[in-house]
Amino acid sequence: MVDTTLVRKAMSELAYQDQNPMELYYPEIAEITKVNQFTELEKWYEITLPNGRDLGHQPGQFVQVSLFGVGEAPISITSSPTKKSAFELCVRNVGMLTDKLHLLDVGSNLGIRGPFGKGFNIDAFRGKDVLIVGGGIGIVPLRSLINYIIDNRQEFGRLIICYGAKSPKELLFADELKLWESDPEIEYHVTVDNIIPEWKGHVGVITTLFPNIELDLENTIAAVVGPPIMYKFVLMALKTKQLPDENIYLSLERRMKCGVGKCGHCQINQSYVCQEGPVYHYPDIKNLPEAI
Amino acid sequence: MKSIHLAPENVSDLIRHLQTLGKVFAPHPKGDTSFSFETVSDPDSVVLDYNRTLQSIKKYFLPPRERLMSYSMETNQYEKEEISAEPRIFLGVHSYDMQAVLKLDFNFGQGNPELNYLKRRENCSFIGVSFTPDDYHFSQSVGIPVEDLKGFDLFFRKHESGYTVFVVTKKGEELLQDFSSLSDTGFESDISYEFSTQLSINYNRLPELFNHVWDSPVWEEVSRNCVGCGTCNLVCPTCYCFNVEDNVELSLKTGTRDRHWDGCMLNSFAAVAGGENFRESYAERQRHRIYRKFKYISDVTGEPWCVGCGRCIASCTAGISIVEIVNKLKDEYEQTRLIKSTNKQERASVESSM
Repeated sequence: MVDTTLVRKAMSELAYQDQNPMELYYPEIAEITKVNQFTELEKWYEITLPNGRDLGHQPGQFVQVSLFGVGEAPISITSSPTKKSAFELCVRNVGMLTDKLHLLDVGSNLGIRGPFGKGFNIDAFRGKDVLIVGGGIGIVPLRSLINYIIDNRQEFGRLIICYGAKSPKELLFADELKLWESDPEIEYHVTVDNIIPEWKGHVGVITTLFPNIELDLENTIAAVVGPPIMYKFVLMALKTKQLPDENIYLSLERRMKCGVGKCGHCQINQSYVCQEGPVYHYPDIKNLPEAI
Repeated sequence: MKSIHLAPENVSDLIRHLQTLGKVFAPHPKGDTSFSFETVSDPDSVVLDYNRTLQSIKKYFLPPRERLMSYSMETNQYEKEEISAEPRIFLGVHSYDMQAVLKLDFNFGQGNPELNYLKRRENCSFIGVSFTPDDYHFSQSVGIPVEDLKGFDLFFRKHESGYTVFVVTKKGEELLQDFSSLSDTGFESDISYEFSTQLSINYNRLPELFNHVWDSPVWEEVSRNCVGCGTCNLVCPTCYCFNVEDNVELSLKTGTRDRHWDGCMLNSFAAVAGGENFRESYAERQRHRIYRKFKYISDVTGEPWCVGCGRCIASCTAGISIVEIVNKLKDEYEQTRLIKSTNKQERASVESSM
């Protein structure tokens, strides 16, 4: 049992110490420097900070995108940290802020706070085979990790990408997908739920890709990002493949307002997703009943 | 620590004296049955004998609505808000509300220390007052006695012939400097305060209880009447979750970004764009609120994060009581444990007889 008088003492000292409080809520004004409408719902942006300053993020981290008069929303960074002087976002139009964001074109300003949260622990992936499992827009933050690996190819083992979308029309980063497909250094698997006549590839949910993939279990680290419903099934399928839980990292989405561990919206049990997540080491959350 | 006698007729004079040192805030009657902390303009209208104010003094450090910035949507320029740290004296604070402020100090001071809150906490003095527990107070059950002096600079113990003023800190002593209408008292014996409402489990054991009750049927049971109005969050002195929203002027050229109190009991609290709501049912939200008070932060600090003010019970339109919830959880847990251990014993005796 903790001595409560000691804790109280520490707490009150903390209050009066004035330990360099921070201005947490002010965005930096950045500029949209490139735009590409990927699909009906998804648009891609290149964003440049003042003076081309490097964002300095890790794959898997997010920024708070701010539009004056609309508000703020947490958006995953999709570019690799190896890309300097600008970063990229890919945004699905589903909410108030994203709706307004989609109206913006090259030259428009927006506010940026961040990068926030914990990204993928690159050190855990280094020297290992990497299994990427991305469902829907889950590929957006994963692309940051994928491109980091591609840019530092010799530091990693196999790169296995499993990407699932509802329909072929919803596949993002079409140009890069072609590169991944043709790259002999990448094992690229793609599947869709609903087909169109032109589709010649795999059909089915993302877990149906797994039986055809041989994994070196001890030497493979998985990065999983997708819609909430996907995790349960992917984790079950990875368990069936006997991939140890310690080898799994995943990224979770929650409502966020502040991004700095104060506003309370993103909590999964005692864990603040904006601080300890959005990327979690699976063993750290497997006992949190609100997580998956 | 020194103690001094303050006659009831001298209280207003003392307030006038305090007003020369800073802005004074104290409880005032509000309507027929309620009380509210307000800036003192007329010292005679201050009430030191009250059960609880509608809102705690949290509202002075984390305002219900606070402007974070003003901006122009045409130029994308913004102006920061200046937060002043003028000397402020809070008079007539109950111990549980003082403890709640110390808890908020932890929340806003840890991790990324927040300027807005901590700046408002500077230059504040606190003068406590004892209270007679009513049917809703249970602060003693969460380790906060009526005369918990922690955090206070001065503390008023009320008795028949006025107040005994305990001088807790040097700052408190300075507050009384040059105020002459005080007379010395001898050493006073303790007063015991009776709490009719209590948790049926020692607060030291709460985090342990909450290791076992996540799946308890009690959550559904106690949430049946909940309408998710969020009042319990809004009156809680340790609730600090907030929302941030942009408000645009009619000209559509300028606007402000404001933050306001939010509540985890509200339906949209954990909902994201795209339709997913991560805490959809009343029971899930109630459980989250209670775990925030007795488990999540307590595991880090070693203290309950509920201060036993009873506001959420007194204000709940559906008659939901945090004390009843905890006591039911404890009873239900003990019963299931009993059934489990009886089953085990029975099994053991059956097995040994085989």
